[in-house]
Amino acid sequence: MSANLRRNFMLDGIARAGECGLFFVAVIAALPGSLRHLRELCRQVWFVGAMSLVIVMTCGLFVGMVLALQLYYTLSIFGGTAALGTVVALSLFRELGPVVTALLVAGRAGTAVTAEIGLMRATDQLDAMAMMAVDPMAYVAAPRFLAGVIAMPLLACVFNAMGIFGGHLVGVTWLGLDNGTFWGNMTATVDLYKDVLDGFYKSIVFGGVVSLIAVFQGYTAPPTSEGVAYSTTRTVVFSSIVILALDFVMTAFLT
Amino acid sequence: MPVDSASLSTSEHAAGAGISSDALVQVRGLRTRIGGKIIFDGLDLEVPRGSVTAIMGPSGTGKTTLLRHLTGQLRPDAGSVRVDGREVTTLSRHALFELRERIGFLFQNSALLTDFSVFENVAFPLRQHTRLPEELIRNVVLTKLQAVGLRGAANLMPSELSGGMARRVALARAIVFDPMLILYDEPFVGLDPIALNQVLRLIATLNRTLGITSILVAHELAAVRRVAHHVYLIADGRLVAQGAPDQLAREDSPWTRQFFGGEADGPVPFQYPAPDYAADLGFAGAAR
Repeated sequence: MSANLRRNFMLDGIARAGECGLFFVAVIAALPGSLRHLRELCRQVWFVGAMSLVIVMTCGLFVGMVLALQLYYTLSIFGGTAALGTVVALSLFRELGPVVTALLVAGRAGTAVTAEIGLMRATDQLDAMAMMAVDPMAYVAAPRFLAGVIAMPLLACVFNAMGIFGGHLVGVTWLGLDNGTFWGNMTATVDLYKDVLDGFYKSIVFGGVVSLIAVFQGYTAPPTSEGVAYSTTRTVVFSSIVILALDFVMTAFLT
Repeated sequence: MPVDSASLSTSEHAAGAGISSDALVQVRGLRTRIGGKIIFDGLDLEVPRGSVTAIMGPSGTGKTTLLRHLTGQLRPDAGSVRVDGREVTTLSRHALFELRERIGFLFQNSALLTDFSVFENVAFPLRQHTRLPEELIRNVVLTKLQAVGLRGAANLMPSELSGGMARRVALARAIVFDPMLILYDEPFVGLDPIALNQVLRLIATLNRTLGITSILVAHELAAVRRVAHHVYLIADGRLVAQGAPDQLAREDSPWTRQFFGGEADGPVPFQYPAPDYAADLGFAGAAR
């Protein structure tokens, strides 16, 4: 890659990031208008939230189970298997719940939102709305953004619950830890404000980021089949990178 | 919807006779440049109230762009666009949306909302802008669908419609608010002769019975002749000819000759601008 090409690449990236920032401002400005389209908002929360339940629950269960297995092995080296419930719950609430849920939602709902809006753009549906004096930012973009912000923390809660259930299944039912110790240590150590709420904040932010990227990519997708395909891919790639980077930053600030 | 008696008496082929003189749409000195390419270079035109006006011209001359200027989807670099006495180029977003509620726009690809049924597509503007009771919405929508002959298709999804049907549904949606102006973007493209005649008849009927001013962008000379009172021929970013369709077809200027005669070469060159042919083939030195 020549220096010139590299510079263009960087400039393009910065320009796109700036565009996305302006788009964010436009979405926020369109939020009050979108409250008129409550039905559309409900439909989107249902689509992002309820329709993602199966994948989120399944993945939550397995993540909790594997977490318990790995941590049991590590803890047994130090003779601390009694802390298994605590460690599983803390890992889920503080880290894995918000992050893995966000990655899953980006893959399942984010891509669908991008492709849908991209195709609406390609088939003039967004222009048609504007011509019918319906602001597509308020009718299409803002409800999908808001739906992500609402659905993500709820999905993360479900993920956490399934994860703890999975951890319990492996730790207590399979490996034979004492049930009382598992729950007792967990409830004694996990703090509502420090641990659970921190994770909750994270998933609200991730919900906003994932749906902003998905809506932005769809809205600016070139109106060709290749353009929509690229944008869909970019939604997953950018969401994943931003989620993980932001997770680090937020963890550093919150703890 | 005020209907002046003059336009009611106007027959389909009256070629502009009896149209009131005040202009619903007035374009003055329009200049637009998109991506470095000059689209309009001082365009002037007027569309009288209650008329059917066709805008013709070679592909790529910005006919669709002109429609987008009229609705304020696109702002020109210079010039004035007045619709119903209001300067579109400087309208606020809110005022623009108010104006658009009185303008119907028929997209080239119909642009129906694919998530909604035919009924919901036509009901969409009503639901968004009014709080009418469900029963009334149903009546209005079915009336409009009946007008385009598709009341029986109310429950179909857009994916189940043929191109001609989709265009008629889009037309029903465009007239659901009884607009003062309808803009048709290439309404005849891709239609079979039957569907074309149906759409043609609808355009004429809407104009005659409701007095709706219509502007259509089209290439089909035969179709335009049957419905339009006035034709503007645009090329090279400006107006090159105008008049009643029959009169224009007889006019003997290079532009009208090429366009209406369908000649391959003329003011619109067959060759896209290119460097010297011999030089391009590497024979530059050979030119002795």
